[in-house]
Amino acid sequence: MGTTSEKNWEPKIVAFLCNWCSYAGADLAGVSRFQYPPNIRIIRLPCSGRVSANMILDALRSGADGVLVSGCHPGDCHYISGNLFARRRFALLNNLLEFVGIEPGRVNFSWVSASEGEQFAEVVKEVTDKVKKLGPSTRLVKRIG
Amino acid sequence: MKALKLDRNAIGQWLSNMAGERDIYAPASDGPAKGTWTLLTDYSMPEIKPGVPARPVKNFLFPQPETLLKFSIVPTDPDCCLPSEPEENGRKNVVFGVRPCDARSIGLNALACKADTYYQANMDKNAIIGLTCSQVCSTCFCSETGGSPMGTEGCDVSLTEIDGRYIARAMTERGEELLALAESFGKEVTDSDFSAVEALEERARSGSDEIRNPEEQLRKKDLMELYNAPFWQELADRCINCGACTFLCPTCYCFDIQDETLHGKGRRIRCQDSCMFPLFTLHASGHNPRGQKIQRVRNRFMHKMKYFPDRFGPISCVGCGRCVRDCPVNIDIREVMRSLLNFHDMGSVTP
Amino acid sequence: MSTVNEKITEKIRSEAQRLLSTGEVAAFIGYEAGSLPMSVRPFVARKQEDASRLVWNSFCVLNLANYLPALLKSFEPPRRPGDPPPEGPLPKVGILATGCWSRNIVVQIKENQVDRDRVVIVGVPSRGMVSARKVKEAVGERDIQTCIEEDHSLKICGEGFEQELNRWDVVRDNCKTCVHPDPVIYDILIGDPAGERQVQDRFAQVDEIEHKSLEERWNWFADSFSSCVRCYACRNACPLCYCPTCFVDDSRPQWVGKSTEQTDTMLFHILRAYHCAGRCTDCGSCESVCPVGIPMRLLTKKLNKDVLEMYGSEAGMSLDEPLPLTTYNPADPQGFVLTEKSEKGGDR
Repeated sequence: MGTTSEKNWEPKIVAFLCNWCSYAGADLAGVSRFQYPPNIRIIRLPCSGRVSANMILDALRSGADGVLVSGCHPGDCHYISGNLFARRRFALLNNLLEFVGIEPGRVNFSWVSASEGEQFAEVVKEVTDKVKKLGPSTRLVKRIG
Repeated sequence: MKALKLDRNAIGQWLSNMAGERDIYAPASDGPAKGTWTLLTDYSMPEIKPGVPARPVKNFLFPQPETLLKFSIVPTDPDCCLPSEPEENGRKNVVFGVRPCDARSIGLNALACKADTYYQANMDKNAIIGLTCSQVCSTCFCSETGGSPMGTEGCDVSLTEIDGRYIARAMTERGEELLALAESFGKEVTDSDFSAVEALEERARSGSDEIRNPEEQLRKKDLMELYNAPFWQELADRCINCGACTFLCPTCYCFDIQDETLHGKGRRIRCQDSCMFPLFTLHASGHNPRGQKIQRVRNRFMHKMKYFPDRFGPISCVGCGRCVRDCPVNIDIREVMRSLLNFHDMGSVTP
Repeated sequence: MSTVNEKITEKIRSEAQRLLSTGEVAAFIGYEAGSLPMSVRPFVARKQEDASRLVWNSFCVLNLANYLPALLKSFEPPRRPGDPPPEGPLPKVGILATGCWSRNIVVQIKENQVDRDRVVIVGVPSRGMVSARKVKEAVGERDIQTCIEEDHSLKICGEGFEQELNRWDVVRDNCKTCVHPDPVIYDILIGDPAGERQVQDRFAQVDEIEHKSLEERWNWFADSFSSCVRCYACRNACPLCYCPTCFVDDSRPQWVGKSTEQTDTMLFHILRAYHCAGRCTDCGSCESVCPVGIPMRLLTKKLNKDVLEMYGSEAGMSLDEPLPLTTYNPADPQGFVLTEKSEKGGDR
């Protein structure tokens, strides 16, 4: 997003986190002082089931270099099955984006529970590494000259 | 007016002479861009198929999208909130191989776009080299709308193919200047060439069209009677309200203005809009005077066949037949035109 | 000897005539002859005299289920959100349905857009519809003046040429790979059921693209969707697209810009296809109506393939099964989830 000189480029990653597990996991990572890269911008949602393809693509369109969607582990959803419905949608979207040539690793999905602060930090590291390797996002990015 | 006879090689040379000052566009004959106007890089006579290409020439008069102004909303920017003109590359275009119907549409749209400075500027920017039609396709009906397969209206230079050679006639001052670039190698047009062109024009005039001067008849008709005619329902039954007809129509000029902003930078663009879409006349209040499909379908044809001629004279249709050819549900504007012309309100008491 | 389609036309006319004359249906959705060669036009017959206008041939490419929800609604008394449903029986609508169209009607019933009791489905097993685009290509894009259809051939004539084409050669790709040509629900069946078809490589067109490299796939997507004019014919010809406000018309947030710039065109096509996931029956309506020949059907076909492989489901095959995206299985594959990579299922 915005202008960054290529040398000091740091990816910007939009993270859609569910309120009950992944957001709490991120919070725990913070209070437990697990270090993770500062490249993510968190958007809190009630449930991973609330994440629609529009939102993920809007992040890419707005110039996010990567997207992370994270929810409760299957079976742990606060709303019982929100993440299980979402899982089907994510699987299809993930495949469709690869089908049209969006680099694998731009859009990522994970399950992180409220007690997994360390895992959250790990996921963010992994996603940041991947996106750094891919470089700045160019596909599906809106440019208004 | 200047006229020259050019063979295919000469046309290629002429194109390369013009390419010094102008970008040259012609319809692509194959590949994924088939039928779209593409920038020529190889200056030989482009292969132009009979009939109209998929896309109308209006894409040069209404670029998609056209940036009207730019702005910044970053508070620290010295130009914050001050609109600025978009940069222009200053290049002018030659649009090559424009069929008479398409060329004629430029002038028709200009009637409605008199005060549209962007449209006027684009008319200046784009020189039109027309190519008359030696074959009239089954979906063509230009002569029923006031045009002709041999028409030159709207062209700066008009080409007519005769026995594999092209008679190029300059129709405007700009056309004279362009044609001057072929003067050194173009052949002189003989009297027999001129009479061959005239013969073609005569043949085009004597066509057996059922309809002549529809605008005069339509102007005489009562607007409300046509508006309430029963045939709209059957059209609305099958119309799916897509914008294929309007977006491919050379004389549909309605547009939408959008402000796009991203990361503090913004631009105001205009892009084509279609009266078939539910947002077309949606008011900010939520009310839509054309909320129903039937109202939208009716609007398209009433605009072309009644509102436009009432206001400007001619009908707003050049008979290119793109909508006839590409309508997903075979709504045929020729039939609609006949329905309008033949409609007599049985209930009315006019003698 | 009359052709198969002429026989079907006769039967369609007599059924529609009966349904309309007895008042069983208030309207009947079918096709009538068009004004151009190779064209038919969707037609809503409202009077019994109209029944004789109905026709059936190989060019009935637009999915008639597209008209069903709105036509049913047009017979309901107007009501506002929250008003109770109207009392008493409402008028019925008759509709022709091939295999895929009937499956779309099933989807519409399951999504509460159509009331099964208000539809009389006249099933017609499909022989595959012809792609006018393929015909035009086969005759070198020359101007076609007449097209005469026989059971297995098409005779195409224009100025200075006459060409006979094998019908199956110019049948649409989606029909060639269709395995369910027979209607899955119907009240009346016209013609003989064709039975399930055996098709090798149903998803060959999708596989071909999947086998390309990432760069090639992106270039394919960019090239083949570049000529889109955003007319939304694909969306409006689709029986699944009945939303009162489409996502393209949302303005706050505006998910997709209005111009024909690459990003906006691509996002439109990705999201349009994605909204059809688990619902699309590969009827080919979108591709057939596209005025510029964009292969957007391949996106939905890819989704159909994934839904079948991952969830073992095909849209609209039965009224009893839930639609694949309205249900889940705790054991659904999740190899794409970062935190699950190490587990079984592997990376897909």
